[in-house]
Amino acid sequence: MAGNRKSQSAAIRFGPALKAAFLCLLIAGSAIGYVWQKNEIYRLSQQIRQAELRLKQMTDSNEKLRVKLADLRSPLMLDQRARELNLGLAPAQPMQVWRLPEPSAAPPENHALARQLAARQAGAPLTQ
Amino acid sequence: MLALTLMVCAAFAGLGYRLVDLQVLRHDELAKLAQDNTQREIRQAPRRGDILDARGNLLATSVPVKTVCADPSLIGNQQALVAQALAPLLQMPEGEIYPKLFPRVSKNEKGETVTNNLHYARLKKNVSEETWQKIQLAMSRMSFGVDETKLAKTNRQFFNNLRQSAVFAEPDQMRVYPNGSLAAQVIGFPGVEEFKLDGRPISQISGHGGVELSLNSSLSGVAGWRVTATDSKQRELVALRDEDVQPRDGLNVVLTIDAAIQHILESELADAMKEHDPVSITGIVTRPRTGEILAMASLPDFDPNNPGAAPPEALRNRVISDVMEPGSTFKTIVVSGALNEHVVSLNDVIFCENGLFYYGGIPLQDAEHDHFGNLTVEQILEKSSNIGASKIGIKLQAPKLYDYMTRFGLGAQTGIPLPDESSAQNFVRPPDKWGKYSLAQIPMGQGVAVTRLQMVMAVGAIANGGVLMRPMLVKRLQDRDGKVVQQYEPQTVRRVISDETAKEMVKALKTVVSDEGTAPLARMANYVVAGKTGTAQKVVNGTYSKDKFVITFIGFFPANDPQICISIVMDAPKEGGHAFGGALCGPVFKDVADRCASYLNIPPDSPATLMASGGAHSTPTQLQ
Repeated sequence: MAGNRKSQSAAIRFGPALKAAFLCLLIAGSAIGYVWQKNEIYRLSQQIRQAELRLKQMTDSNEKLRVKLADLRSPLMLDQRARELNLGLAPAQPMQVWRLPEPSAAPPENHALARQLAARQAGAPLTQ
Repeated sequence: MLALTLMVCAAFAGLGYRLVDLQVLRHDELAKLAQDNTQREIRQAPRRGDILDARGNLLATSVPVKTVCADPSLIGNQQALVAQALAPLLQMPEGEIYPKLFPRVSKNEKGETVTNNLHYARLKKNVSEETWQKIQLAMSRMSFGVDETKLAKTNRQFFNNLRQSAVFAEPDQMRVYPNGSLAAQVIGFPGVEEFKLDGRPISQISGHGGVELSLNSSLSGVAGWRVTATDSKQRELVALRDEDVQPRDGLNVVLTIDAAIQHILESELADAMKEHDPVSITGIVTRPRTGEILAMASLPDFDPNNPGAAPPEALRNRVISDVMEPGSTFKTIVVSGALNEHVVSLNDVIFCENGLFYYGGIPLQDAEHDHFGNLTVEQILEKSSNIGASKIGIKLQAPKLYDYMTRFGLGAQTGIPLPDESSAQNFVRPPDKWGKYSLAQIPMGQGVAVTRLQMVMAVGAIANGGVLMRPMLVKRLQDRDGKVVQQYEPQTVRRVISDETAKEMVKALKTVVSDEGTAPLARMANYVVAGKTGTAQKVVNGTYSKDKFVITFIGFFPANDPQICISIVMDAPKEGGHAFGGALCGPVFKDVADRCASYLNIPPDSPATLMASGGAHSTPTQLQ
């Protein structure tokens, strides 16, 4: 026996509509997400490209500055400048050089520290 | 109605066929065309490594530059205007640029016609970034004398393409030597290797001569590549990048050369060159304990930034490539051998025949004014008696003499990592190939030939307690971040003479710079010097010249704790028959040695200096 359609509840009639709306939202959301993702990929790839260009520029600039520095540090250049400026620079004579003996490789005995350690072992506080 | 239906069906069938034709039947062909239009494989050139001195100063480096190219297919008939715009910026005559802007068809090695020149013409290499920016600006502002707003879209597009894409630049690198000619023959100079990749010429720097050549593979690095897609304006679409393999940059080579010592040596050699006008002058500074080469120079030299301007002989590193008769410096080897074999001692007296000695029917002579009678072995070295040295050689006998020559490294390559090193093997012959006169002639440094490097290493062996070291030119290889990839250590070749013999030799060689010796002008104020002079006649047209000499001084200091060994050699100075090693090379040695000692802060050992400073070099208590 067929039932009376008028007696069906409103909730049952909204079910397919909700499903359809959900499906539409899902499809629309996916489409928007896809476009957003593509847009992000494009934006990020542009950023990568810009960053790579910037890195290249900085590397190139660094290279040029290194050459400039090497020019300025060149013995020939320094020699010429020293002559031009007429500063009266001359190599130090051996008599003008004071030589200090090299410190020994082994650390010198620290008697004070040894005493303090001994005192601590005996129960006294360690002081600096 | 039926007819219309049939027509619509036929149209759909036609479209369907076209679809199948494009998407199925011609899929592979068209897919490849589409890929070729957008996909690019880009070679990523590695950066060539630097060459640094022992203290990290740049001796050779690579800087980024551009190679400016044109696409003739985009220029139409505007070649004259483009050439006019580019000529002043590229500093080239218009007439040179103009023909390059026409599309050309050429043939490859197989005789096939290729059309690459329709799209690619190289205009100039090594263009700076600043110049390239000016070129871009000039191209973008070009006017062609037509009102482009009234032109059709395709014509407007043509002018836009001409401005934006007809002239383009490829990244490249240029070798730069910030110190100019400093150590030019040691470093070498760059050349360009060309090869084709996908029909396009690719150039890469390769070394010519010196370290640039011998360590070319380490300096070169390995190219990378990138497979990517580009848009219609050839801009990369990073999102569609497929493969991206970064290039592996070349390694930096750190030499044992010290730029400051190299400059000291070269400036002193240049002064001597000016004063004595020799054909050439060479100098080497080594550390005898390790075999490290601190400086190596040969004048005339060249600027590696412009090697084409130099004559070919200036490119040659005479220190390793030229052989010469060593003259009296060879006596150090004869006397070392004889002392080591206990054939003589320093105090043995040898009669020097009053300056004239016949051996094998041929007269041997001492220097013009020398008529020595009895001399001790030490005095033979001090006064450089040829007859005395010959008699010592005769006592030593040929097999032993030859043995010591080879043990000191003569007649064999030293193993320095430089190209074109001569071994002088043909000039250090075994005794069975000697003439009857050779045994007397060789000990005085005639009838035998060596390279300058072999000789300084041999004298360095005496300074090093009798141990011959391999010359060391490369300290380490490192990457761009300074991480050491390979470290080289000093290498001992062999013990040549005993430590005692070496000490005796040093004692004898100290007398050479005394007032009675042959090189008082090589004496230093604050250091005890040991050394030996050499004055060898040059062979001209097969006979010994009477007015052309190769003169030498090889010495080391402080004699009792040798830090530095220096060799100075002049080839045919203007003084001619009056040129002597002690007189001309001795002062050059002294000047180089004084400046090196000051730069390296070597403690003095001269008794006079020690006395003057109260034996005080110095203690903390004395500072107070």
